[in-house]
Amino acid sequence: MPSHFFFLLVFSVLVSTVFAVLQKDTLADQVRFALTMTAGFVAFAVAAGWLMRLFPL
Amino acid sequence: MRPNPRSTRTSAVRTASETDRGRALVLCVAAWLVPGAGHLLQHRLGRGLTCLFVLPLMFALGLLFDGALFPLTPITQSPLTSAAALAERCVGAPWIATAVAGWGRGDVVSPTYEYGWVLMVVAGLLNTLVVLDAYDIALGRK
Repeated sequence: MPSHFFFLLVFSVLVSTVFAVLQKDTLADQVRFALTMTAGFVAFAVAAGWLMRLFPL
Repeated sequence: MRPNPRSTRTSAVRTASETDRGRALVLCVAAWLVPGAGHLLQHRLGRGLTCLFVLPLMFALGLLFDGALFPLTPITQSPLTSAAALAERCVGAPWIATAVAGWGRGDVVSPTYEYGWVLMVVAGLLNTLVVLDAYDIALGRK
C-alpha cells in the first residue's frame, strides 16, 4: 500500500492544479501558484504531524 | 405619440441582460454535468481541459481508494453526511455514471477508505467553484 505521504502528494497536486487554473491566467503564473500551493499543503501537513507528536492520545 | 428613446434603450439593455443571464445558467448546468464544459463552451480551452481531466480523475481515484457514494437521506443521517452526499453530487456526470453502475459502495475497513471519500467530496466541491467561475466569465466579470 502506498504511504500516507503518497496520498498527501496526490491530493495536494490535484487540488492545487484546479485552484491554479481558476486563480491565474497565464501558464507561468499557474505553474508557480500550483507548485507553491502544493509545497504549502505538504509543509503544513508535515508540520502539523510533528506538532501532534507533542500531544499523544 | 413618439416612444421615449430612453425607456426603449433601457428595455433593450434589460432584455440583453436577461439573455446573458439565461445563457450563463445554461452554461452552469453544462459545467455541472461535465466538469470543464462551461469553460470549453466559452473557448477557455486551458481551464476547461484541465478541469475535464483533473476532476473526473480525482473522483475515479477516490473510487479506486475504496471511497463511498453517500446516500442522501437527510432525515435519518447526520448533517455532515448529508453535506458530503450533496458535495459528491456536485461533480455531475462521474457521480451519475458511478451511481448507475452501482459502484462506490465503499469499504470502511479499507486503509484508504477515508482518502477515497475525501477525494470524491473534494472533487464535487471543486466543481462547484468551476461552475461559479464559468458563470462569472459568462457575465463578463472575469
